[in-house]
Amino acid sequence: MTVKWILHWTPTQGSVVNSQILNEISQCVESFNAVKDGRWKATLTFYRPNLRDPTIPSEFPRDFLGISLLEQPNKYYFIIRGNKIILEADSTILTIMEKLQSYKSKVALNFEGVQYKMGDFQMKVVKVVPNQGESLRGILIEIEYLPISSIEKAKPIMEEFLELWREVMSKKSLPGHFSQAEPHFAEYKLPDNYTSQHTAIQYAAALAQLIASAQLRG
Amino acid sequence: MQQSQQAPPHSTSTPPPAPPSSTGGSAAEAPPKQVALAMDKLGEAERIIADIRIGADRVLEALFVAASQPHHGTKPLQLFLKEDACMRRYLQDLRSLGKELEESGVLSESVRSRKDFWGLHMPLVCPDGAMVAYAWKRQLAGQAGASAVDRTRLALKAFTDQKRRFFPHLDYGLETNESALKKRCGSVESTVDPKEESSFLKILPDVLKSVEKEVPNLKISTFERLDWLKRASTLTSSTNENSLEHNYPGSNKLRLGSLGNVAAEKIAVIEMLVPSTFRVVIALHPAGSTDPDAVAFFAPEESGSYVHARGFSVHHVFRHITDYAATALQYFLGNQVEASLYCLLHWICSYQTLFSRPCSKCSRLLAADKQSAFLLPPVLRPYWQFSLSKILSTISSKDHTSDITPAYHVGCFSEEL
Repeated sequence: MTVKWILHWTPTQGSVVNSQILNEISQCVESFNAVKDGRWKATLTFYRPNLRDPTIPSEFPRDFLGISLLEQPNKYYFIIRGNKIILEADSTILTIMEKLQSYKSKVALNFEGVQYKMGDFQMKVVKVVPNQGESLRGILIEIEYLPISSIEKAKPIMEEFLELWREVMSKKSLPGHFSQAEPHFAEYKLPDNYTSQHTAIQYAAALAQLIASAQLRG
Repeated sequence: MQQSQQAPPHSTSTPPPAPPSSTGGSAAEAPPKQVALAMDKLGEAERIIADIRIGADRVLEALFVAASQPHHGTKPLQLFLKEDACMRRYLQDLRSLGKELEESGVLSESVRSRKDFWGLHMPLVCPDGAMVAYAWKRQLAGQAGASAVDRTRLALKAFTDQKRRFFPHLDYGLETNESALKKRCGSVESTVDPKEESSFLKILPDVLKSVEKEVPNLKISTFERLDWLKRASTLTSSTNENSLEHNYPGSNKLRLGSLGNVAAEKIAVIEMLVPSTFRVVIALHPAGSTDPDAVAFFAPEESGSYVHARGFSVHHVFRHITDYAATALQYFLGNQVEASLYCLLHWICSYQTLFSRPCSKCSRLLAADKQSAFLLPPVLRPYWQFSLSKILSTISSKDHTSDITPAYHVGCFSEEL
């Protein structure tokens, strides 16, 4: 799989994320001579253990995420961020979970993205919306360089692309900036070759950052 | 383009010395005369075939007349007999003419590869019916499936081969477009290296082994022509292949070629893999020789029937490099004749730093291509710096950890000159 970098939008103190910022960001992407290439979707679900007896101290992990990606329709990814565990399962695991009723879905979020193609690069502008609702909770961008599949090898190219991206963004002087949440792939014991598991981890990390910064702003 | 079937002008050929008596057959006449005779015979064959066509019409007409006027006696019958005799005569003539053409080597398939001592082939009738006077024109006409670029390449190669053989006293390799390049690179590469150093270049496996030794992190595999097509559809990145081989000890057969497995004289395709960076496919012509014919760059993950020496990658960066490599290949074939494959392989290895070395002109890694405005890394590495002497001296100085080949973006390079 080709290497992707996922960055999340952090609005500056006192400002919010709204669709106007989303439009400006999309315009920046299009200034790279990009061509719209289709839509993309992913979902992220927070699971909470379904405790029969609330008095028993729970040994269950607190943040247990489930992610589904459009490019892997037959797979479902479970992540426990605290213990740095990722599991790639068949998508039929959801029926098993439903039957077992051991975990309940606490919060579900949708990632809806528009994909752009510019030569050997691809970008997605992704908005984070709750499963039931349309309010914009966050903005992510995904940068992909198609010829390379090794994370190490892609680093110099991706860093330079990011520089160019930041230059273009700075001209717009929007209230906020993009940053990359450190994915810590090695701690998840993932190899250098990029896979959908890496994508799932990046989305989980980005979302955690989004939530943390939203909580900071109150 | 020679369209006429007349004898080619005799002024082009120098008066030939006495032919050696070893080659048999009708080698008593000079090749242009042989060609002219063959062309005459083919013209005659055409005329006979036209006569046969008309004769067939007449036979049918005679039959029709005989059928419609049965009471006119024996006249229609005699007409029919006359036409029948004519037809049989024409067919007999055609048969004998065909035998003559076969004997002189024009029509028979097996003789096509036999070259007479001048290196000129007899005029040939191609499978699609076209008739060409000289072999290099046959290559132009016969390769209907190849692209125009391939045809030109093949014609150039065949022409150069024949020129080398027929005019050995001429200094080959100094094509007009290459002489400009020579002036540009300053020092003249006219001295030939001592024989001991370049002797390993004659044999293909030796060339490949030495390049593998000199360039770390590189994997070279060799294939017969058809084997490559099978492999191309099942390509994966190198790490996946390695894990396959470890898990299934019997799967070594899957790797159809590695340096030791393919007979040296059958090697037609060389694959070079720099893990996580690129895969290069080189075609050799003829098989087993050290003459590269085509080269193409791909990403290591690309797989499919389009991955071959004349194919193009889906990625823009590798497409640009493949185009540039075609120019480099022609340069190496023209200027580094004995070591063209060796220099080409080393030049290809300079692309290991494709995604990490910034441009020597603008010091950046990515620059927008002028035509498409897409961002590309520096895809140009000057090939005229790769001569046999320079490569050998770099290797002997044990300095190959710091590869100093400069790299340029397409835009930065043209400004440089």
